[in-house]
Amino acid sequence: MNTSDVSQTGQTRIATTTKTVLREAGIGIALIVLILVFSMTTQHFLTASNVTNILTQVTINLILSIGMTFVILIGGIDLSVGSVLAFCAVVAGTVMTLPGLDPSTAVILATLSAVAGGIFFGLLNGFISAYWAIPSFIVTLGTLNIARGAALQVTNASTIYSFPASFNAFGSQTLYGIPLLFLIALVLVGIGWFVLTKTVFGRVLYGIGNNEEAARLAGHNVFFYKIAAFTICGGAVGIGAIVYMARLNIASPIIGIGFELNAIAAVIIGGTSLSGGRGSIIGTLLGACIIGVLANGLILLGLSDFMRQMITGFVIIIAVVLDKYRERLTKV
Amino acid sequence: MNESPSTDMSIKPLLELSGVAKRFGGVVALNGVSFNLRAGEVHALVGENGAGKSTLIKILCGIIRRDAGTIVLGGTPYDPQTPGDAKAAGIQVVHQEFNLLPYLSVAENICFEDLPRNRFGIVDRRSLHERARKALDAIGLADVDVRRPVASLGVAHRQLVEIARALMGESRILILDEPTATLTARETKRLFAIIAALKAKDVAIAFVSHHLNEVFAICDRVTVLRNGQSVMTSDILATNPDQLVGHMVGRQLAAAMAATREVDKSGRTALSLHNLRHPASPNESGISFDLHYGEMLGIAGLVGSGRTELLRSIFAADLPKSGLLERDGKKVFYRNPKNAIRDGIGFVTEDRKEEGLILNMPIAANVTLANLKAVSRYGLLKKHGEIALTQQLGSDIKLKYGHPQDNASTLSGGNQQKVVLAKWLANNPRILLLDEPTRGVDVGAKAEIYALLRGLADKGLALLVVSSELPELITLCDRILVMSNHRIAGELPRKDFSEERILHFAYKDERSHEHQ
Repeated sequence: MNTSDVSQTGQTRIATTTKTVLREAGIGIALIVLILVFSMTTQHFLTASNVTNILTQVTINLILSIGMTFVILIGGIDLSVGSVLAFCAVVAGTVMTLPGLDPSTAVILATLSAVAGGIFFGLLNGFISAYWAIPSFIVTLGTLNIARGAALQVTNASTIYSFPASFNAFGSQTLYGIPLLFLIALVLVGIGWFVLTKTVFGRVLYGIGNNEEAARLAGHNVFFYKIAAFTICGGAVGIGAIVYMARLNIASPIIGIGFELNAIAAVIIGGTSLSGGRGSIIGTLLGACIIGVLANGLILLGLSDFMRQMITGFVIIIAVVLDKYRERLTKV
Repeated sequence: MNESPSTDMSIKPLLELSGVAKRFGGVVALNGVSFNLRAGEVHALVGENGAGKSTLIKILCGIIRRDAGTIVLGGTPYDPQTPGDAKAAGIQVVHQEFNLLPYLSVAENICFEDLPRNRFGIVDRRSLHERARKALDAIGLADVDVRRPVASLGVAHRQLVEIARALMGESRILILDEPTATLTARETKRLFAIIAALKAKDVAIAFVSHHLNEVFAICDRVTVLRNGQSVMTSDILATNPDQLVGHMVGRQLAAAMAATREVDKSGRTALSLHNLRHPASPNESGISFDLHYGEMLGIAGLVGSGRTELLRSIFAADLPKSGLLERDGKKVFYRNPKNAIRDGIGFVTEDRKEEGLILNMPIAANVTLANLKAVSRYGLLKKHGEIALTQQLGSDIKLKYGHPQDNASTLSGGNQQKVVLAKWLANNPRILLLDEPTRGVDVGAKAEIYALLRGLADKGLALLVVSSELPELITLCDRILVMSNHRIAGELPRKDFSEERILHFAYKDERSHEHQ
């Protein structure tokens, strides 16, 4: 290798790294701009209590979005997460209110059953779409209805409450103003980031999302990875269900309606490609924060629910359009 | 040819380019291309990958716009903004990548630009099918049903459908970008007959090809591009292949391409096939042969003769319907590619973009994809190990790249193919299956890949090479099996190699079909 080769190598590497950083930095900048705009246009946006409030609101969507990122990365989609969340919540709620259990046992058993319920639906989604090569859009549209129906059936459409007092209290605790539940979500972000960037498992997921056939011919068990991605998503939904119960102190079969769309929006705003193979958990974290900040800021601005919904819709579209430009930039 | 149109300097060119330039960001794609095209001539455009041929074609057909230079078409300035403008001006292009709609029928694809309608504005199926039938018959594709979806056709037939579509319009200029890359000898012959007929109708044809024998067979003039510049234009009769290659690479081609393999050092049997049958093969008795260590065994045959299917059934990319494999004398059954890879087999697929590479992932990730175990521990990636392995393999195979973390899409075709090879070499295979190993690869990189494969065989690997380029098989192999209609029609030892003998076997079944 001669000297000119060496310097060129250095330049390309810097260029590549800059591009990758820019990609996520772009979303981060958008978030900062939003925060600045809201703190200048409203009085209460940057107060400690409002920040705690935003983080609380972001938590559930963030947890669901982490799981959704895995599924979208392999080119899938999971429309069932909102319904499965309700299913997991009512199962966990039933377990938690079983007579004769001491509070800590009840909470542990409930958490395990919520996660198990999520994993069950994840396995189902993954297996059906991978085994029969059915688009996951259709499969999860089916399980969306199955899970919702099951939740209503189990509870006879009633709401479960009166959980152990310590559990209810946990849901509203904060550490230096940061809700504990949000910290749980952050831990999950960390785990998701680690798995996707540092492990063989994550590498192969990206490979499958980009080019399934090339990954299969390189000796990877595509069937297994697809099921795994959906199962991870299901597990995240289970955790999300417990977090939801801790926060609102109820479990109802009609919670979580439309949650899947918010999760997909967070993932897409975060720069993950809907066709798979490209994206990151950090992007998803920023995407979920953008949605949370936007919702909160617009309320403080005094906008109606309807206006807020319209604006959120525009933001999703703008995010995807901007991503197209970013893609073009990084290609040259 | 009784009079060469090029000798008469008074003929006014139909299309004239001068000083055409184009840059993409910091990359100069074209830097002063001058070139003209006369009615009724076939003009070859040759050059290594990256020389600027594709960019030039994209400018001519309105896909991208030039930065500088002039283009005059039939006496008036020509500056197409969209592909529609180019078509309106009578310029048709057959692109290297397919532009077909896979789930529409052959007929709908051929007539897509001008679907026949009845007076209610509804597509008139009958005249649609008639028109398409005529178009296909005109290029000798009588055996293809125009109602079939394009997705069900093989790659060679798709290319011919693409050509039929381009010929539907009344064009003054036809640009063919690597039209023979996916064609076998039979179809190439057909294409040349079509070109001759168009030429007689005064159509100007620009012919882009890596195959110099084709250039010398059908072209009147040739222009060589190198590094975005036109470096020479000449009458075909006034030049020769060595001179062209010299201009293309800017250096005399390495002797590697001409060098022949010394002796057949065939060792132990690495792999035996016993009646192995691909699920799509009509041949119930399947395929049987032995492959030895240190041997390069070639598989020749027409497109559709079952060559790719053979490789896929060995590798368990498709599960064989019947038959069995013996590896080192032991019966084996591979349920998926993973089993085959564990058993020391690698498979360089025909289609780099669809099956071989992950273009949007780093070079290093591609190189290690088939052997992530080597660069990880407890399921955790060791990024440094990955980069070191890529750099080491990269220098072994003379890979030209920026950084291991650059995406594979940043590489030229030849270097992409080397990455695919590196992916399998990272696994230390004992057997390599190669399907069209130099397809779409320029002359210089081709010679390097040949040398690399030869080196692997010398190291004792068993290589099974499928290729449509007979000179490639003849240069490389120790032995050639010729397939025809999913069976082995003939076997040739190195001393008996000749294009005629190979084609004789390849057409064996074809002829008996035609007689029926």
